[in-house]
Amino acid sequence: MDPSSSGIQEPFDLIRLSLSERVFVKLRGDRELTGVLHAYDGHMNLILSDVEETIMIVDPIEGGMDGQGTVKVAKRKMEMLFVRGDGVILVSPPSRT
Amino acid sequence: MASQILPLELIDRCIGSRIWVIMKSDREFTGTLLGFDDFVNMVLEDVTEYETTPQGKKKTRLAQTLLNGNNICMLIPGSEGPESDS
Amino acid sequence: MDESTPPPPDIDAYTPPPPPSASTGTPTDFLKGVVGKKVIVRLTSGVDYRGVLSCLDGYMNIALEQTEEHVNGVVTNRYGDAFIRGNNVLYISAAEPL
Repeated sequence: MDPSSSGIQEPFDLIRLSLSERVFVKLRGDRELTGVLHAYDGHMNLILSDVEETIMIVDPIEGGMDGQGTVKVAKRKMEMLFVRGDGVILVSPPSRT
Repeated sequence: MASQILPLELIDRCIGSRIWVIMKSDREFTGTLLGFDDFVNMVLEDVTEYETTPQGKKKTRLAQTLLNGNNICMLIPGSEGPESDS
Repeated sequence: MDESTPPPPDIDAYTPPPPPSASTGTPTDFLKGVVGKKVIVRLTSGVDYRGVLSCLDGYMNIALEQTEEHVNGVVTNRYGDAFIRGNNVLYISAAEPL
């Protein structure tokens, strides 16, 4: 009814307002994407272009007390990408401030 | 048939009382049950979250909380949870 | 054959019937009260998102503003806006008095 400031009525409005914009996508399996959003649906299946994928590869050190390990970061680029919705954790549009 | 008590009727009778929620994972909650819906999403108040991690048990205090019913395994009415005596 | 076809389930428009006896403590009531307030959204992975709740839908998809991502109590990211897919949500907790 009365969403704060931005005039967003439902969560998908955030995504709709980000079409043709560069978005940040956090995926299951410690993966992140940035790319230009071309299309989405109700499952959060996405079509992105000009994509850079960042993969965090954690090597847990045996006996490490804090559960931390060395983190390797791998990056790769893709021209056009379909993202299956069930892997999506978070989508952040470009800042509209 | 008529005297059968449905499982969710039992939970309905717990509204206003403390309840212990055990999730499918190593996570538990206690709190005062304010309400729930058909999916057994639950609104709890004065909540303590208990996590079992490799580093031991972790406790988190929370105010009013909507707990997603999707990951709930068991409900124990009237219990103070893992720290109660029994 | 007087059976009319039931309306298709529309989860977005889902509002549970008010329980006959109970007071106003249902998930829907909670969510009405918490929109526009600071909340903590914890995912099943244990990652927390703290921000102002813009809105949500029947799948628990969430739009947050001024969002901070916390992993093990450390801020790991900030987002002006964030859409969180509902299947990842463990709970939504009020971070300021309602």
